[in-house]
Amino acid sequence: MWADTVLIVFISVCTALLGEGLTWLMVYRTEKYQKLKAEVEKQSKKLEKRKEAHGDSLDKQQKKKIEREEERLKNNNRDLSLVKMKSMFAIGFAFTALLSMFNSIFDGRVVARLPFTPISWIQGLSHRNLPGDDYMECSFIFLYILCTMSIRQNIQKLLGFAPSRTASKQSGSIFGPPPQQFK
Amino acid sequence: MSRTKSDKNGNTAKTELSVWTRAITANSEWPDKEEFLDVIYWSRQAIGIIVGIGWGLIPLKGFIGLLLFFLVNAGVMYVYFSNFQQVDEEEYGGPWELTKEGFVTSFAGFLICAGNLDNNIFRSSLRLIPI
Repeated sequence: MWADTVLIVFISVCTALLGEGLTWLMVYRTEKYQKLKAEVEKQSKKLEKRKEAHGDSLDKQQKKKIEREEERLKNNNRDLSLVKMKSMFAIGFAFTALLSMFNSIFDGRVVARLPFTPISWIQGLSHRNLPGDDYMECSFIFLYILCTMSIRQNIQKLLGFAPSRTASKQSGSIFGPPPQQFK
Repeated sequence: MSRTKSDKNGNTAKTELSVWTRAITANSEWPDKEEFLDVIYWSRQAIGIIVGIGWGLIPLKGFIGLLLFFLVNAGVMYVYFSNFQQVDEEEYGGPWELTKEGFVTSFAGFLICAGNLDNNIFRSSLRLIPI
């Protein structure tokens, strides 16, 4: 079990590096992406500074200006996502194939032991294709997802490919809309 | 990472401390918010791994283990940014923004370490800890 775990951690490090390498080849190094990224960051910082400087005391003209900038930022963010999308699809397909290959290799094998019993709707994933009723036993797919969550994001951050906080803050996230919307 | 900067007259050399030094020095100044958020992010990753290893070796499992992880992780970082560094939390969007910085990644790291160490490294390989 220990060897399997180490192997899976190693696999996820390799796939994260491979994924980032491929994305660099197809997206990050292109002039279009770099230009758009710089533009988005510049605009996000400018917008944040403007919002901070004026706070709540905004007259109509300033509100309009900020709205216009937000709109421009939104468009640039959309363009940036479009540039990324094509390669993401290609990489996604490649990794789905890889994942199903590893899945069949580790099928039915307990690769780790979780420090807790997962809640029922996660058990389907964490105990996938495993014999027995010990739900603390972990399947390949669950450990791989955990590794990807932890390792991939850290690798992205280390390599400097993670999206900037200011840009993601201005464009909003899955947890909520962008703060201080002037509507 | 360490950068040195001289003032305009060139009489005295003012040393700008590296991120590492500022991170371990109380009440440091953080002109670049991103730098401080990076410190919070990486500290949280380190805490996730250290606590994961600790909980895996004790072993501390179940709901108590998870709850203690959340408390230790949030508590240590809260003490760090509010008492040790004494930053203005509102500048960063409030204590919640600082608390959630890197939390999910840290939790994943914790689970990997805690789960893997509970795989009986010592028990089955070295036979040091009695079952």
